[in-house]
Amino acid sequence: MRDRKMFRLQFGLLCAAAAVLFSPPASPQSQTKNGDWPSYAADLAGTRYRPLDQINASNFSDLEIAWRIKTDNFGDRPEYKLEGTPLMVNGVLYATAGSRRAVIALDPGTGELLWIHGEHEGKRGGAAPRQLSGRGLAYWSDGKEERILYVTPGYRLICLNAKNGQPVSSFGKDGIVDLKLDDDQEIFPDLVTGEIGIQSAPVVAGNTIIIGAAFREGMTPRSMRNNKGYVRGFDVRTGKRLWIFHTIPKKGEFGYDTWEKDSAEYTGNTGVWTQITVDEQLGLAYLPVESPTSDFYGGHRPGNNLFGETLVCVDLKTGERKWHFQLVHHPLWDMDISSAPILADITVDGKPVKAVAQPSKQGFLYVFDRITGKPVWPIPEKPVEVGSVPGETYSHTQPIPSNPPAYSRNGVSVDDLIDFTPALHDRAKEIASKYHLGPVFTPPTASKLEGPLGTLTIGTASGGTNWPGGSYDPETHIAYIYACNACVEPIGLVAAPKDVSDIAYIAGTAGQEVTILRGPGENAGADSPKPKKKPASQYVPMNIDGLPLMKPPYGTISAINLDTGEILWQIAHGETPDVVRNSPALKGMTIPRTGQETYNIGTLVTKSLVIAGEGQVTTTADHPRGAMLRAYDKKTGKEVGAVFMPAPQTGSPMTYVHNGKQYIVVAVSGGPYSGEYIAYTLPSESE
Amino acid sequence: MNFLRLGSTVTLSCALFLLSSVRAQEPAAPAARSVWDGVYTEDQAKRGEPVYHKECAACHGDQLTGGESAPPLTGGAFLSNWNGLTLGDLFDRIRKTMPQTNPGRLTRQQDADILAFMLSRNKFPSGKTELYRQSEMLKEIRFESEKPTEKK
Repeated sequence: MRDRKMFRLQFGLLCAAAAVLFSPPASPQSQTKNGDWPSYAADLAGTRYRPLDQINASNFSDLEIAWRIKTDNFGDRPEYKLEGTPLMVNGVLYATAGSRRAVIALDPGTGELLWIHGEHEGKRGGAAPRQLSGRGLAYWSDGKEERILYVTPGYRLICLNAKNGQPVSSFGKDGIVDLKLDDDQEIFPDLVTGEIGIQSAPVVAGNTIIIGAAFREGMTPRSMRNNKGYVRGFDVRTGKRLWIFHTIPKKGEFGYDTWEKDSAEYTGNTGVWTQITVDEQLGLAYLPVESPTSDFYGGHRPGNNLFGETLVCVDLKTGERKWHFQLVHHPLWDMDISSAPILADITVDGKPVKAVAQPSKQGFLYVFDRITGKPVWPIPEKPVEVGSVPGETYSHTQPIPSNPPAYSRNGVSVDDLIDFTPALHDRAKEIASKYHLGPVFTPPTASKLEGPLGTLTIGTASGGTNWPGGSYDPETHIAYIYACNACVEPIGLVAAPKDVSDIAYIAGTAGQEVTILRGPGENAGADSPKPKKKPASQYVPMNIDGLPLMKPPYGTISAINLDTGEILWQIAHGETPDVVRNSPALKGMTIPRTGQETYNIGTLVTKSLVIAGEGQVTTTADHPRGAMLRAYDKKTGKEVGAVFMPAPQTGSPMTYVHNGKQYIVVAVSGGPYSGEYIAYTLPSESE
Repeated sequence: MNFLRLGSTVTLSCALFLLSSVRAQEPAAPAARSVWDGVYTEDQAKRGEPVYHKECAACHGDQLTGGESAPPLTGGAFLSNWNGLTLGDLFDRIRKTMPQTNPGRLTRQQDADILAFMLSRNKFPSGKTELYRQSEMLKEIRFESEKPTEKK
């Protein structure tokens, strides 16, 4: 054994030597701005686009690992959900990493660690609602100074010198702005445990940093009261607060009257937890706002609830609201606006339009004139079903885009259920029969033992497009958007015992909630099912022996022409899952590639390719246990190459050029595999 | 042999070497038993249910379907993630990182009970003996998403 280890070590050294010997000669190709990746989504327009083409259809499958870095030791424990997308600017790669949410600077050619910064926040970090390494950071330079900005799990904005990772003492207090202060509200119960934080990357435009806010999952909140997710602008030089936008209006402000019975006073959340987009030229920022407190029950917040689930355009320098469009009135489905709005200069009916396109969980791409807020294609108010949960108030209409058509499923009907065989379809119908079904905006029901257990939804909490968002090619005006097409979410509501929550109804399933949430000897609310001596088994799996309840495709990438709204192509993304490929129930059948039911897949667009990794592990004849990073011809959607990853993609891929070579970096993790950034590049002999 | 060819030969050898290094770290000989062999008891799963709902459901959902910040613990994605590994790998993952706000707070027994509950929800059969609390013993139990067709 020892000999073998020795051999490994020596051979490893030989490999290292070989790597040096056969590394490519320094290329005369100069570094261009296009070779950098200076902000989370490549640019402030949210495009995830770089017109690089060294890696292309002819060589994608030849990609090799240039370097890799495990994030285990950037924190006191490993993390298994690495969601970051690094930046690469001026020959240095920056990323957040590890359970500490450390900032690391790496050599983009070798992965060598140049510096590291971590904040030890003690209880405040431990109590944070959004932990782990987050999605990334922001870079700023005035041509002389270079700064890196990020927000810690404990909600403190940190400014570092990009050259050495040291805090910039002239920023805030010793390089830190405490985001729990100066927020036009007193964060309760206290600064250490007060629920507010953020996991997205800050955005810096001009000299303004914009920071939103995030909270815990909102399915079963303890109270209708919570801290509010205001959005603030800060001076990048000093850390001074420049402006604040009240996502829940204060008394006297526009929109306050959309919170009846003074519910704006106590309702919280309504933050911007995902990426913010900025048009620096127009001096406008686009804020995608999430749901108000209590994802699925709005009985304590009657009214339309502005600016919940609203796209808000504000002045970059003052935070003043320019226009807004509420995508969902009186939100009840957790349709947070979950990803970066995409800025697109398009041509509609021969006229140029400066547009903003908003992908969504509900599979609609909402397209607006980004100066006026006017929909590019009509988004009429349409009647929707009104529910009957006690105390709830409902919006009788919702805005539904007329164009583009929905690019992923956003409602459930019997026709959407698995139908590989009649027997499987029957079993799926049996499961679905316990639920209320309907199209997009079918409201949640109270969960009843005799049925329905809830509403079977899709395109809600975890459906459609989530935080990774879409990509956009500004040359062809085509958006490329991943969506989960099978992420089913049963939404049932149960009366909350008073010791658990002061909200009348929270997410739950009849027959389970009393066991789950009730304190000893407490009575449940009037409408809840009677307690049983033994827990009733009302568990209904959302799969059939592991097979998804819905028909394929389970996950898709769609190419949408923003000049016309036409869906040019749509493909199933991802290998058919093992449980489907190996299912005894499907033996002998030929099943076309199904894609995978994962909601956190981000795409990258280059000169000729759309690139995205898989979100699930498979084991096939072509590769061992792992996942593939796939490349598609962006004109046709045809797959042109794939390269192996040891674990699923959990952070969106990015690309850059360093010393004449193009690299692709992707974050992988999940299951037993702890977080790792992997950089791919072409082997030297391919050049 | 020119330099280019030597280069690709060495590169290929290096790739094979690296692959073998990675492989060497994976669990060695296949475990004798699998999750299809009745490796937990009904009572244990019932014991794990309230613990799951108290400690895990807020993020993973009361139906184990996951949420925005936590993966599902049932269905295709979950089964694929662990297929081919062992219950020890899954147990260690829980021990090391869960509950997220205070990893390692639960006892080995509680974690084993939660795991038993997860197995029952994923329709793996129960048996007569409880699930072990020791990782090394759990590593002897293969996680297989599909029921083996031939059983001894």
